[in-house]
This record gives sequence, structure tokens and C-alpha cells, in this order.
Amino acid sequence: MQASASSHPAGERTTLEGLPPRVALVLAAMGLGGLAVGFGLGLAQGDALRSFFRSYLANYCYFLSISLGALFFVTLGHATRAGWSVTTRRLAELVAANVPCLAILFLPILVTVLSGSGSLYSWNGSSAGSEDLLRHKTAYYLNPGFFAVRAVFYFAVWGWMARFFLLRSTEQDASADPALTQRMERFSPAALVLFAFTVTFASFDWLMSLEPAWFSTIFGVYYFSGATVGFLAAIILLAMLLQATGRLTSSITVEHYHDLAKLLFALVVFWGYIAFSQYMLIWYANIPEETSWYLVRQSGSWKWVSVVLLFGHLLIPFFGLLPREAKRRKAILGFWAGWLLVAHWLDLYWLVVPSLEAAGLRLGLIDAGCLVGIGGVYFAGVLWTAGTRPLVPLGDPRLEESLAFENS
Amino acid sequence: MSTPDLPADDNTANDPTRRAPLVIGRQDYASVTETVAKVAERRTCSPLWYGAFLVSSALTGVFFLLIGYLIVTGVGVWGNNIPAAWAFDIVNFVFWIGIGHAGTLISAILFLFRQKWRTSINRFAEAMTVFAVACAGIFPAIHIGRVWVVYWLAPYPNQMQIWPNFRSPLLWDVFAVSTYATVSVMFWYLGMIPDLATLRDRAGTKLRRLAYGAFALGWRGSARQWHVYERAYLFLAALATPLVLSVHSVVSFDFAVSQVPGWHTTIFPPYFVVGAIFSGFAMVIMLMVPAREFFGLKNLVTARHLENMNKILLATSCIIGYSYVMELFIAWYSGNPYERFAFMNRAFGPYAPAYWTMITCNVVVPQLMWIKKCRVTPWIMFVVAVLVNVGMWLERFVIIVSSLSRDFLPSSWGLFVPTKIDVLMLMGSFGMFFTLFLLFCRFLPIVAMAEVKQVLPHGEG
Amino acid sequence: MADAPKTAAAPEGTDGQGTDRRLVAKHGRLVVAGLLAEFPSAETLKAAAARVRDEGFTRWDVHSPFPIHGIEQAMGIRPTPLPWLVLAAGIAGGVAAIAMQWWMNAVAYPLVISGKPFFSLPANIPVVFELVVLFAALAAFGGAMALSRLPQFSHFVFRASAFGRVTTDGFFISIEAADAKFDESATRELMESLGARGVEICRESTGGRHLPKALTWGLVVVGALALLPPLGIAAARHRKSEKPRLHPIQDMDFQPKYKAQAHSALFPDGRAMRPPVPGTIAVGNLNADAHYYLGYRLKQGTGDRGQGTEAKGQTEDDREYFTTFPPQVEAKMRELMDRGQGRFNIYCAPCHGLVGEGDGMTSVRALERRDPEWQVPTSLHKPAVRGQPVGRLFNTITHGLGKMPSYAAQIPVEDRWAIVLYVRALERSQNAGSEDVPEDIRPQLR
Repeated sequence: MQASASSHPAGERTTLEGLPPRVALVLAAMGLGGLAVGFGLGLAQGDALRSFFRSYLANYCYFLSISLGALFFVTLGHATRAGWSVTTRRLAELVAANVPCLAILFLPILVTVLSGSGSLYSWNGSSAGSEDLLRHKTAYYLNPGFFAVRAVFYFAVWGWMARFFLLRSTEQDASADPALTQRMERFSPAALVLFAFTVTFASFDWLMSLEPAWFSTIFGVYYFSGATVGFLAAIILLAMLLQATGRLTSSITVEHYHDLAKLLFALVVFWGYIAFSQYMLIWYANIPEETSWYLVRQSGSWKWVSVVLLFGHLLIPFFGLLPREAKRRKAILGFWAGWLLVAHWLDLYWLVVPSLEAAGLRLGLIDAGCLVGIGGVYFAGVLWTAGTRPLVPLGDPRLEESLAFENS
Repeated sequence: MSTPDLPADDNTANDPTRRAPLVIGRQDYASVTETVAKVAERRTCSPLWYGAFLVSSALTGVFFLLIGYLIVTGVGVWGNNIPAAWAFDIVNFVFWIGIGHAGTLISAILFLFRQKWRTSINRFAEAMTVFAVACAGIFPAIHIGRVWVVYWLAPYPNQMQIWPNFRSPLLWDVFAVSTYATVSVMFWYLGMIPDLATLRDRAGTKLRRLAYGAFALGWRGSARQWHVYERAYLFLAALATPLVLSVHSVVSFDFAVSQVPGWHTTIFPPYFVVGAIFSGFAMVIMLMVPAREFFGLKNLVTARHLENMNKILLATSCIIGYSYVMELFIAWYSGNPYERFAFMNRAFGPYAPAYWTMITCNVVVPQLMWIKKCRVTPWIMFVVAVLVNVGMWLERFVIIVSSLSRDFLPSSWGLFVPTKIDVLMLMGSFGMFFTLFLLFCRFLPIVAMAEVKQVLPHGEG
Repeated sequence: MADAPKTAAAPEGTDGQGTDRRLVAKHGRLVVAGLLAEFPSAETLKAAAARVRDEGFTRWDVHSPFPIHGIEQAMGIRPTPLPWLVLAAGIAGGVAAIAMQWWMNAVAYPLVISGKPFFSLPANIPVVFELVVLFAALAAFGGAMALSRLPQFSHFVFRASAFGRVTTDGFFISIEAADAKFDESATRELMESLGARGVEICRESTGGRHLPKALTWGLVVVGALALLPPLGIAAARHRKSEKPRLHPIQDMDFQPKYKAQAHSALFPDGRAMRPPVPGTIAVGNLNADAHYYLGYRLKQGTGDRGQGTEAKGQTEDDREYFTTFPPQVEAKMRELMDRGQGRFNIYCAPCHGLVGEGDGMTSVRALERRDPEWQVPTSLHKPAVRGQPVGRLFNTITHGLGKMPSYAAQIPVEDRWAIVLYVRALERSQNAGSEDVPEDIRPQLR
């Protein structure tokens, strides 16, 4: 059976055509401008760009997590042969395929590590590796060379995977060939394995090594769980935004939002579970080499950030997303999606900055600059990736099933 | 649009343009009912059932005799000793609880994910959960030494004016396993009510009608009752899902909150949960492959169902492999000499054979499931499932005994050697499990008829 | 079998009339309870249900072997309040769990557990979670039973012969006679017009529904039996008994070990408690330094009579008393002399007198009283005493002599030597010559 484009609702705008090219340019300009402001202010601080880089890293990992969450969503959808998510899958593919942009945005971090300046990672500076405890780490793992090689590897894998899914899916728009779906399904389980390992080790390299003496086996899972929450919140808002501009108005229905919201709810709980596991086990055994990481995060003003994170990322959104109606009304769901995007940003900030600035929370213009900066460039990248492609996988054999999908 | 007719007895094709039928052989409501109900309605069983039941009840008898012997004589009849104060008792406990989790996953989690293929196997799996939890619960109760005061674990007002220590994961276990047992039984029973009503309505003898009728509670298929029923089923599924995550996480806390090298690692909770699902699915496959043959359920529990279960087996095996890699990497990365030694000891110490068998059975063997042929061939998946069960038992053994027998202080090291009682009790617990399971197959509806009818290809019936 | 309330389609007879006759015979008059209409499929059933709803029926129901998608809208069923029950129960469970753990571990019985706070929220979360789930699940299940009004073993639809198919593949609509719009023939026509392929009128007895007698009696008996334990407990709490209480949890109260005064068949003397091995010396009593501790040594050839318990075998002839003071005493003669004087005045003077002539106060008083048992204490200046070696004097203090008891318990070893020293000084003082007087005082003598 050939799925034809005629199964797709006629008359719906499915591409970004009509969107003024200005939008992408404005985003890119905002991005570069923000980064310039952040960088300039960072230089002015006179701390060898430490303030700049910690803010840069936090914001970078935030936007990276959204693309990684997207990549997971796409791969998992293929592995489980999901039908309901087909109409939203193209959006996820586009977000996931933003890897080149992310790779470019990673360059400042890479450069600073390779230069051995120690502005970001303490294992990287001139005094690194002098402690016994860290010597094996810096000798074999946390050294600039291997760090760079691994980073290249991660981006290569992510880029290749995301491109594979996007290109096959786009090819299918025209040919509607079910064999392409079979290819994507066959590749997806192995892709998931690759994804798990690359994301885990990336989080070890870029986030966990901020405190080189500290370690946690669940850290990769923690970053992953946050990434899924961030992505789902983002795609809900993205879909709502597109529908507000008159696109995809029939493809993405209240049933899809309901399912995305159910997933978001479940992943918020999953994030809470992972966060609690890590915290409680370290708290309970009370071993100083592990508790040091949390001790910083419950001292001074970081304590309040931790409390806000607990309530803002778990407890409040749990009750907010619990009612069925909350998941089906755009206004309410949009509110919670936005809330969780903020909460996820706070999570990343909380992961990065206390390890580098134990004194306390010091939000400033540098943070704003980096947020706007990286965000602007990131979204410009998404728009560029989207180009004139349809925003719905028109040739997918399960498109009809997805359009007709109804929650019971 | 027209769909080409697939052969009625093969639904393992991977055609993205249509969803594979979940019931094959041109079934309708009546034939589904007949297929399932006749298993429970046989007046006499096959000799195979009697033979299996005889063996399993004998083992059960041995099990309870040994429990009596243990209570009268003391925990010294086991090989437990300092430093390996936990051994087979806790390994068996974690093993059985883990097995139970697959049932809840199939019932609850697959339900929430709208995986309709679960309907042919969920009753079977839920029963497995209930019986596995029953076997599991025995071990912590009898390993405490003074079994006759086990009720002290419960927070009841008492004249000693003491209360349980809620800061201990051993007590969290009490609450977690009790809750899990209660919720599993309720979920299993709720699901069975309509099917018990089916058996009641078809009952040939007065005794059967009264018995099934009593437990069917007068169910009459009323839409108003179905409405409440469906909501309750959804809630129980939605509650059972985090519950199953939490129960095995709490079990993992028994180890992870300690400071023992090899135990104290933050990935334990999700790793244990995934391991539980892994071993549970292996048990379901192990039971289902012969059961669908002997009870004639091949049209309901099709090759596709088996294939899906094997895919989950493969996925969980990969996650287990991931967790092993994480533990090893972080043990190296941390530089903690005790942690590093713990893993070297596992691989090259006195229990190395157990370790390498575990790696082979848990990570290597299930990789066969990448191959489609293996996924749909019953005897292959049966062998793989048996090996996975062995591997998962060994995993708990390796974690517990290798870490305990050699922790921080070499002068405190000591080898654990199992006694005959240890081994016999493990076998006895299998006997109890299979006895209950065989009774279930004999008397209760082993497939959720009402649910399968809902997923029949449209227009049948 | 007609009175079995769970009757469904009777396999042994589809004779509704026969059933009715037996019912009448047992319970009296039958009345129409309602109507049951069978439909060929779920779709026709759903369409019919919508029509029945539109017709304004209120007391009716739809029966199927599985829940039909969309039937709630077709019937106009209001959503069940079950979600609220579950939510409330879950919250109650959470609150109860926190309150319980706080009260039990931080208020009622605070135990120090590895320095963790008495109210440790991270440690308490697992139990909170479990109780939330447990309470919510119990509410879901119990609420479902209650809201569905289960168990309900008796219902008029079970009287219909066709109804046995409902759990296999039958689709039915049932309408109660109590419904305002119910009319036996009109409603039957309506059902047939909606596509029913069979309509049955169901009758029930007017007597209403009763529990079967056997069940009622069973419940009474069980209830009565169940009352016995609490009544027994209540009675026991208000009675006194002279017997020792029941002791079911014996723990390690009765141990297979021997207690001090017990009998033992293992030993010829029958004692479980064994005396020390001959030659045992208590810690601190080795007294290897015979000169200091004993004042004598055993003569060569007396054999190893040992010390302690075996010393009883010794006689005076075996001993050789030391004639010199032990080195520890010689090292501090001056100091010990003063000490000896003090000790002598305390312990010895009451009998031997301050000068040592045997005229102590006890002796004076005993002679006054003409105590027949009294032996006058030895004068320390008798030549016999003056001739004794110092070791012998020491031994006398240690073991006593005649009427004089042993002073070993009151006077430590060093003090004994001090007393001996002073006694020698006293003896010399009463038997001195002019040459004993110091040079500078001698001229004063005449």
C-alpha cells in the first residue's frame, strides 16, 4: 500500500515558506550580539574568562540537551514503531539535526581546553594533575588531546545519526517508500546504544569533570533525563508557535499535545527519580569524596537554588501536569512547557556553576548574554536546517494513523 | 483501501504500512473464549501437568520442611557467616522480586504505552508476579534469625514503646514489598473479574459455578461497571508503574546506601530495575514458550508477541551491559583503590567463574536477539531465557557475595561456601513458584480474554 | 438450584417457565423486573444505546464482554468520581507516612542512627512514596468495587437464559421495570425496532433478595467465633492469676549451659562448678618474692608444697624465716618506722598495749570482767619474741597466732613490715643499755 500525500489534510501549510528570511538573520544577529556582549563583559572581569566560560558551558549544555532529547525521541519512535508521534517527528528531526551548529558553538570550549588555560576545567590548567588522586585521570583521560578526540567523535556520531534520520525521512516525503521506514527502524536500536554511550561520556567529559575528584555512575542518566524533559517542553512550545503562525494547524491535534504532555509528565517524574537516587545515596553514605559536590550546592545561596530546583522541576509541575485537562488545553500546557524549559535551564546552571563558583549564585549580564547568544545562534541553526522542507513527514506510512490518533 | 491478505498464521512481517494483527488464525470472540476457557475447564489434566505438579509440590514440601528446620535450628544452617552475612537468602530475595517486575511491566507499563500486544500475555505475567513476590517475601522473613518476632518490623503500638527505624532501607523494603504484593494482587484480581465471570457462565458443575461465581462478584458486563473498571485499571496501571520502579530501587538501596565497595554506586536504582525487567521477561518467555504449546494458545500468543518480548529482552540486556561499563569506568575514573579492587576481585578473584558466566549469560548471549530468526524461534528463545535467568541469579550473587567476602580490610576477608540447605531452599523456592503457577494454569483464566477481544482485528465477532 | 442467587444461563435447562414455576413455589408471586434485549454486534448495540438514551430511559444498562469504545457517550454516562477518591487517598497516604515517620523516629523513640537527623527527609521519602501508592491503589480498587456496587450476586438479568453469552460474545441492553418509561410491550417493540435479535422479559420474586440461609448461618458462626479472641483478651486484662505468665517468645531465656550451683553428671563429685586446678594462684597473688610477701622460705627438700591452696600442707619445720628485712623495706626504713608506729598504735596496741607489754585496753577490760576464755596477749619483750626472726613476726601478723586473728586483710604487706620494724624498735627501747643512748644525750643520764 502506498501512503499518498493525499492522506495529509489538504490546504495546510506545512513548510516554513512565507517566513521572512529576516527571522533567521535576526536570530543569528541576536545570537552573535549576545555572545559578543557576554565575551566582552567576561574579558572585563579580568578572571581569565572564567565567568564567561562557566556561563557559556551551562547555556551550551542546555541547548545541546534539547537537540539530544530530540535525537532520542526520533530514534525511539522508530525503534518502537510509534504511530502517534509521526506528525511531530519531523520537528524533532530538525531540532536533532542542528548538530553542525552545536559543533561550531562547541569550538570556544574546545579552544580553551586545548590551550590549557584552565579557565573552565581545573584539570586543564598548569597546576593540573599535580594531586595524586587526579594523576591517572589526567594521564589517560582528562587531557586536552583525548578530550578533543572524544568531542569530535561525539559530534560525528550525533551528526551522522541525526542526518541519517532526517535525510531518509525527507527522501520519503517524495517517494513514500515504506522500505525507508524499514531502514530507519533497523538502524534505530543500534543507534540507541550509540546514543547512550556518547551522551553519557559527553556528560562525563563536559559536566562531571568540572569537579574532577567527584564521580557518579548515574550522571549520564541524569543528564539524559533532563534532556528529554527539556526537549519535550521545547517541542510542545515549538508546535504551538508554528500553529500560531498558521502552519501545521491540522496535523498536530489536541491528541498529540495530550500524548506529548503525558510523556513530559512521566519524564519529569523520571528526572525526579534519578535526581533523588543520586542525592539520597550520596547523602546516606556520607562519604566526603562524594558529598563535596552536594555540599557546595546546599551552602549559601546555592541552597535556595537547590530548593527552587526541587520545587520548580519536580513538585510543582507534577501537580500542574497531573490533571487531564491541563494536558489538553493549549494555554495551560504551554504554560507548563515554558515553566519546565526554565526549570531545565536552572538544572543545567545548577550542574555547572556551583562547581566553579562556590560562593553563591551570581546571575548577571554575562549569563544573559550567553543565553541569548547561544540560543539565538541555535535557533537560527534550526531554521537553517529546516529550510523549505515540509514540517511533517508527508511520506510516512503511518501518517494516517497519526492524524487519526485519539486518546481514549 | 484494500490490504493484501497476510497468511493467517504469520504476523511477524515488518510492513510499515499496516499494523500486524495481534491475533491470528481468524479468531472471533467465541473462539477466543473457547481457546482460553477450555484450559481451565478440562476435567482431567494431561499426565505432563500431573508430573510437573508432582515434582514441584515435592520441592515445595522440601522447601517448607527446610524453613521449619531453619527456624528451629537457626541461620547457621546456611553458609552465611562474617563477612558474607548476606548470601543465598538475599540473592534469592532480589532474584524473585526481580522476576515479579516483568509482570507489572507487561501489565502496567505496556498498558500506559498503549502496546496492545500485551493483552495475550498480561494475565500470565501478572500471575507470575504474584507468585514470584510470594516466593521473594519468604526469604527476608526467614533470614532475620528470630522469625517469631518478625512482626516487630511493623509500626504497631506496643508495650516496649519502640518503633521501627525508618532510616533503614531494610525497613523501606518491608513497606515496598508489602505494597507491591498488595497492589499486584489487586491488579491481577481486578483484571480477572470479567474472565472469572466468563468461566462462571460456562461452568459445568455447581462447584465450579459457585467458586468462579463467588470470585466474579456477580460481574455482569455492565457498561457502567466497565466504565469504573477501566478507570480503576488505568489508575492501578499508572500507580503500578512508578511502584515497580520504586520497589526494585528500594531493594537496590539495601546495597547502594552502604559504603561497601562495589555496592555504593548511584546507578544502582535504575540498573536494578532494568535488571529486574530483564530477568522477569526471561522468566515469562521461559514459561510462555512451553505453555503456549501445551495449552494451545499459539493463535493468541503469537510469534509476534514472542518477538516483541525478545526485543525487550535485548534492550534490557544492552542497558545492563551499559551499567556494567559505567561501574567499571567510574571505578577506574574515581581512583578509589577499594572500588577498583572490588571489580578486579569480581573478575579475577575466587568468584570469577560466577562473574564470567554472568557476563556471558547477561550481555553476550542475548545479543543473539539482533537476529530475527532467533527472535521468532521458540527453542532458541527458551534456551536464551534460561541462560538469562541463570545469569541474573549469578549477578545478584556476584554483587552480594564478592563484595562482602572481600571489602576494606584484608584481615577480615572470608570465603562464602553454600551449604546443602542453601541450594535446596533455592530449588524449593522454584518448586513453590511452579506449584502455584501450575495451579493457576489449571484453574484460572490464563489469558485476559476480555482484553484480547478488544484487540481482535476489526469487524470480527 | 433455583434459589442459587448467582444463577446465570442454567446449562441444564433453558426453561424459563420451569424456573419460574420453581421460584413461585419457593418464594411466592413473581413480578416483572425488567427486560433484556440481545444485539448482534457492538456497533448495533452502541447505536441502539444512543437511541435508548434519547428516548429518556434512566434505569437501564448495556452489557458486553469487553468495554465498547464510545459507549459512555452513547449512554450518557457521567464520568466516575473515582479519580478524586484516588487523589485524596494518595495525598492522605503521603501525609500519614510523613507524620508517622516524624512522630515515631523523631518524637516517640529517637534513636541515634549513624548521626543522621532524627527526622531525615531524604531517608523518609521511599516509605512516603510507597504509602502514597498503597493508599491510592486501595482507593482505586475499593472505590471501583463500591462505585460498581460489587459484589452483587443477584440481578434480574441473570434470570435470562441468553444472558450466559454476555461474557463470551453477547451484547445486551437491559431495562429495569422500575424505569418510568418502561412498558412491557412498547419497550419490547422499541428494542426490536432497534435491531435486537432477541428480547426476554425477566421476572423476580417479590420476596426480594436474601442471602442464602447457609451463608447467613455461616456468617453468624464465623462472627461468633471471631468474637472469642477479643473477649478472651478483655477478660484476661481484668483478671488476676497466680500462675506465671505465658512465655511464648523464649529467645535465649533457657540456655543449655550450667549455672553455678547446678548438678553435673559429668564429674565424680557431681558439681557443675569446678574448683580451681590445684596450684591455681589468683591474679595478683603470685607473691614470687617470698622474702617480702611471706617472710619465710621453704627449706630445701621439703618438696614443692607450693603456695596458695597447697600451703596448708606446710608445717613450721618446713619453713626458714628470714632474719633480715626485705630490700624494699630497707630502702625506706626511716619512713616506714614512722608509718609502723602509726599502724601499731591502730592495730596492735589495743591488745598488746602501746609499749607492747601485753597490757592493751582490751586485755585490761577482759581481765576486769574475768573473761574465762581470755588469753593475755603476749608481751613483745619476752626473750622468746625478741629472739624471733623478723620474718616470723611478719608471718604472725599475716596469719595470726592463737587467739590473735590474721590481720592480712586489714594491713597491706608494706605496712606489716613497717609494724615489724617498729616492734623491733619497741623491743630495743625496753631492753636498752646506756650505749644505745645517743652521745649527746648521754651526759644527761645519771
